[in-house]
Amino acid sequence: MSSQSSHNKNDGGEFNMRLKGEIDIYTAAEFKKQLNAAIDEDLGDLHLDCSELQYMDSTGLGVLIGALKRMKEQDRNIYISNLRPNVRKLFSITGLDKIFILEV
Amino acid sequence: MSLVDSVQNAVVKNDCEDQVVLVLPNKPEYVSVARLAVSGIAGRMGFDVETVEDIKLALAEACTNAIKHGCCEEYSEYRIEFGIGQKCLTISITDKGCGMDKKAICQPDLKNPREGGLGIFIISTLMDRVEFETAPEAGLTITMKKYLGV
Repeated sequence: MSSQSSHNKNDGGEFNMRLKGEIDIYTAAEFKKQLNAAIDEDLGDLHLDCSELQYMDSTGLGVLIGALKRMKEQDRNIYISNLRPNVRKLFSITGLDKIFILEV
Repeated sequence: MSLVDSVQNAVVKNDCEDQVVLVLPNKPEYVSVARLAVSGIAGRMGFDVETVEDIKLALAEACTNAIKHGCCEEYSEYRIEFGIGQKCLTISITDKGCGMDKKAICQPDLKNPREGGLGIFIISTLMDRVEFETAPEAGLTITMKKYLGV
């Protein structure tokens, strides 16, 4: 799993992160570290582009839920875009598509 | 072996013609090996791409569960058995933990989402049949089935 972050200064200080590869029990800790760093670094909303995220399981969802709790405490939000069908299904069967903001 | 035994064995073998066994260390980096193995097996059996993804995810959740809860010792292992039948893939994952409380399987609480505890729910949702078996000092066995063409 890897991620690329970019800071979009033109749009209210939002933080964009592009996720790549697979998030599972092996890579979830690294994902958590990168996500927490992104939350600490900026005060805006977090946008995750998942067009190159091939696989994620409940360990990745757990990291995202933890991150969303932190963000909500600061009145910020997480936007998730371009989910592949297999990863989108994970959100829908767990009902978490109603908790996160999923964009097309 | 009596005639009854041999007939019963023949029935069992007919249902699950081939067996593949994988024993993995309780290390997170090997869960991807289990995913690759089941992709190959399920794809070869003729499951469509979406179903292969579902089976892959269900198995990975069971492996994650075995590593997190089923391997009490630092260096341990868990066993995955694939039963490959004409119309059914059966996967059993056996760990060396202390079993589980079946009451722990519940719908995710969306008002208060937790960071863990989703794995077993995901398995139950994606597979056609799931059984949990706990034996004293033998850990937990999760047996899941997926039928072809259902």
